[in-house]
Amino acid sequence: MYLFNTEIVCNQKLSPNIFRLRLKATKDFCREAAPGKFVMLGTDDSLFDPLLRRPFGICRWGEDWFEVVIKIVGKGSCQLSRLESGGAVAIHGPLGNGYPKDQLESVQKPLFLVAGGMGIASIASHIFSALDSKQSLAGTFLFYGAASYSELILRNELTAATAIGLHIHTITDDGSCGRQGLVTQLLATELQNQPQGRVFACGPEPMLKSVQNVLQKVGSEGYISLENRMACGFGVCLGCVQTVLSEDSKSGVETAKVCTQGPVFPAQEVVF
Amino acid sequence: MVDLKVEIAPGVILKNPVLTASGTFGYGREYAPYFDISKLGAIITKGLSLQPKTGNPGVRITETACGMLNAIGLENIGVERFLADELPILRKLKAVVIVNIFGNNQSDYAALAAKLDGIAGITALEINISCPNVKAGGIQFGTDPQAAAKLVAAVRKETSLPLITKLSPNVSDIVAVAKAVEEAGSDSLSLINTLLGMAIDLDQKRPILGNVTGGLSGPAIKPVALRMVYQVAQAVSIPVIGIGGIVSARDALEFLLAGATAIEVGTASFINPQTASKIVEGIENYLDDQGCDRITDFIGSLEKNPI
Ligand SMILES: Cc1cc2nc3c(=O)[nH]c(=O)nc-3n(C[C@H](O)[C@H](O)[C@H](O)COP(=O)(O)OP(=O)(O)OC[C@H]3O[C@@H](n4cnc5c(N)ncnc54)[C@H](O)[C@@H]3O)c2cc1C
Ligand SMILES: Cc1cc2nc3c(=O)[nH]c(=O)nc-3n(C[C@H](O)[C@H](O)[C@H](O)COP(=O)(O)O)c2cc1C
Ligand code: FES
Repeated sequence: MYLFNTEIVCNQKLSPNIFRLRLKATKDFCREAAPGKFVMLGTDDSLFDPLLRRPFGICRWGEDWFEVVIKIVGKGSCQLSRLESGGAVAIHGPLGNGYPKDQLESVQKPLFLVAGGMGIASIASHIFSALDSKQSLAGTFLFYGAASYSELILRNELTAATAIGLHIHTITDDGSCGRQGLVTQLLATELQNQPQGRVFACGPEPMLKSVQNVLQKVGSEGYISLENRMACGFGVCLGCVQTVLSEDSKSGVETAKVCTQGPVFPAQEVVF
Repeated sequence: MVDLKVEIAPGVILKNPVLTASGTFGYGREYAPYFDISKLGAIITKGLSLQPKTGNPGVRITETACGMLNAIGLENIGVERFLADELPILRKLKAVVIVNIFGNNQSDYAALAAKLDGIAGITALEINISCPNVKAGGIQFGTDPQAAAKLVAAVRKETSLPLITKLSPNVSDIVAVAKAVEEAGSDSLSLINTLLGMAIDLDQKRPILGNVTGGLSGPAIKPVALRMVYQVAQAVSIPVIGIGGIVSARDALEFLLAGATAIEVGTASFINPQTASKIVEGIENYLDDQGCDRITDFIGSLEKNPI
């Protein structure tokens, strides 16, 4: 992981409140980037408001740049979303474990990627990584749900991956694009047909709980990426912890740091 | 080059006055990838209890204007695991180690002090009598001068290690608590711990933190901390260590002017893990520029007349 100051290459508005920022990065940083990893991103450290850096998934990267997709939910995301080309940012990353590479790339079983809302930023990192390194995504299904049509972002880029084998199913809460309903309904149907599939999911907590239930019912394996609030991102504040199952502890559970032991966990180990 | 050595307790001479605040520096080794932690005056560990503690459920941190609230609830691995797994690593990293301790009652504190007495690689103890996030976490001692003095005296009996008592700002007269623990045998004082605060989600009409209230830290609390350090430093004759909202060398130097012998860097290390080491450099550069030979000449040299 690295600490450096850098600048915005470009900022593109993807929806009224979602922005894609491309940032310059060092080659070392880009070599360590991997699907599911994240960065702590800050603006001018001397202003102290916002004080802490904010965690964002590394959505796509090249040799000397990477992209994050930011939805405005508060002060920090709002300030970052307003940065223009040349704007200064401070980076700490890549952080976190990312999706297990061997599981992602094993071609034996179908791969089900499940994204809810901004969870697409994390899930898409695998799709773009395959696209950019010219790997096949045959047998990979993306189930992507959002509140409405305008929040279904990155549609063109994701569609480009159908050329390397990706199957895409979208669904919206209000029915304004694709089917109407929840993304876990799509997953449940498909998993019943192919219970040997491996599942990777990122999205809001209620969605992840529901993915956990679906997996349990079918007896399939999967991984979920959590987005707990973080102060440090590197394991020292204990602000981000999640209760997980543990064989070592008497109570059968323990706390895990989402920033360093996650953000990706085996789905069945997380206790919501 | 300026001599940065300071004596934070009788016989405890540190190479510079920059320490790390408990709970913001993990167990120390987490920072080793970012800089050489042996270059700091000392590192202070996360608060340790006799038994491991899992901390508070629910949301534990939330940002506020120029600060943050935390309600971690003193989660820690317990003293046994610290001694077995963490201390050896810190010794290998050549860090100067101060162990922060807390308990549910006086006998917990005394037992911890006895356990840590005479262990190689521990330079001093910092007694936390001021965590606002757990009922048993010292706060019942930290708000009453008599109770604080009794606790310090009990700990004093169990150890020959230098004792730093960490004071709570959540009191009406911090000087009274400071004097009481000095009297009871504390070798130095550190202040301040976090200020008790609260955050509300307006639209959900609910408190944000799982614990409802939490401890405020960061630049927002610096003026309060500075005032308390100034008042306490004038009232006691033992060294005072300043804590609260320090993010730069200039902040640290203000605390030294106000009478602090050393300082602790807290929340700022979350934003940039290298903050503490940058503060050491910044202090050195500033004092060199001023033509100061010894940092001890600078400490407490605040002019009486306001600008
Ligand atoms: C590992 C990880 C990866 C993430 N990746 C992305 C990403 O790629 N794109 C993206 O837009 N967001 C992502 N997030 C969420 C993002 O970090 C938060 O939305 C952001 O920190 C909010 O900061 P703020 O100052 O705008 O909001 P604040 O003012 O801090 O809070 C405003 C609101 O946002 C909510 N919020 C605060 N922190 C979080 C959080 N960590 N997760 C969810 N909601 C939060 C609070 O409930 C609050 O109501 C990620 C979070 C984590 C932990
Ligand atoms: C997340 C967090 C955890 C903390 N844990 C402890 C602790 O275990 N023991 C303790 O004495 N102080 C603890 N503190 C208080 C700090 O050591 C320090 O006194 C306080 O944060 C003020 O300094 P700052 O403004 O530089 O952060 C904690 C503070 C924070 C932010
Ligand atoms: S965010 Fe600080 S420990 Fe995970």
